[in-house]
Amino acid sequence: MPVTNEDLELELGYVNNPAEQQHIRALWDEADPLMQDISVSLIKGENNKVDQLTQAALEAGFTANTILDGGLIAGMAIVGVKFRDNLIFVPEVLVAARAMKAGMTHIEPILSASGIEPVGTVIMGTVKGDLHDIGKNLCIMMLRGAGFTVIDLGVDTSPEEFIEAVEENEAGVVGMSALLTTTMPNMGRTIDAFEEVEMRELVKIMVGGAPLSQEFADDMGADGYGKDAISCVELAKVFMSPDAEHSASPIG
Amino acid sequence: MEPVDQEKYRQSLRKLESIFRSISDTASEVSSWRCPYKNVENRCTAKFGCRNQDRPSSTEELFLCLGSDDIDYRSAWETSN
Repeated sequence: MPVTNEDLELELGYVNNPAEQQHIRALWDEADPLMQDISVSLIKGENNKVDQLTQAALEAGFTANTILDGGLIAGMAIVGVKFRDNLIFVPEVLVAARAMKAGMTHIEPILSASGIEPVGTVIMGTVKGDLHDIGKNLCIMMLRGAGFTVIDLGVDTSPEEFIEAVEENEAGVVGMSALLTTTMPNMGRTIDAFEEVEMRELVKIMVGGAPLSQEFADDMGADGYGKDAISCVELAKVFMSPDAEHSASPIG
Repeated sequence: MEPVDQEKYRQSLRKLESIFRSISDTASEVSSWRCPYKNVENRCTAKFGCRNQDRPSSTEELFLCLGSDDIDYRSAWETSN
């Protein structure tokens, strides 16, 4: 079946590399028009539409595997190509990731019912006094893509909010982000707060942000430092592995 | 509801992770020359103040970014909450 969605055909036009275009087209040539609709809605960042279409697809009898591959991931592949070629930028990628999450909300219960549990739960937030969230949001996108459940506390997050979220969600990992040298010390204060309530041993704490370094992470007592979103995911995976003790070795 | 094929799901996750890795690499590269909060329409999506933000006529619109990509955008970010 050829690509029937006109908007999607237009999106394919952005893919200049012939081999790449052939590969992505092949993903959709096999796909039902409903999967193509999901893809194009995801590319446009229409999260309500992705939400509705995913639910409709499940009700119509499509499997979670089909929706994931033929709709959500196929759409995200185009988002990646458009971003790489500077046709869109970080905010648009994050909007598409939010649309993907809207679709995944319907897939997750089926994963759970099939015996596939999340890799782990991670609490993420930008520390108190800091409103910069792009790095954190990219980490969240990547963590979710790697199968983690992520609770996003947003920006300007107090130590109490981190602690409460860990308790409520029984999370094993906390990720803190800071961009400012003036707010970096609030990471250390949050770690101290976990110690004060005797919860420090219950969680692994990773930190990241432009002004940070492994040395600073070690000094404040963090379990790990991630220099980018990729190393954030690698760290979280290490922390969730059964033989993870205090692994503070640098990743990335 | 048909259960999920676990092997297929693992393959999907690998595919998605590879897409996101590439996105993360691109984000690092692009952030060296363009403010990551600036969207494709040159509007600012930041939740904080920045000297490059130009107030739009409508309050519902995002600020227009007046920043030049030739100058380091970080120095324009307002750092107090």
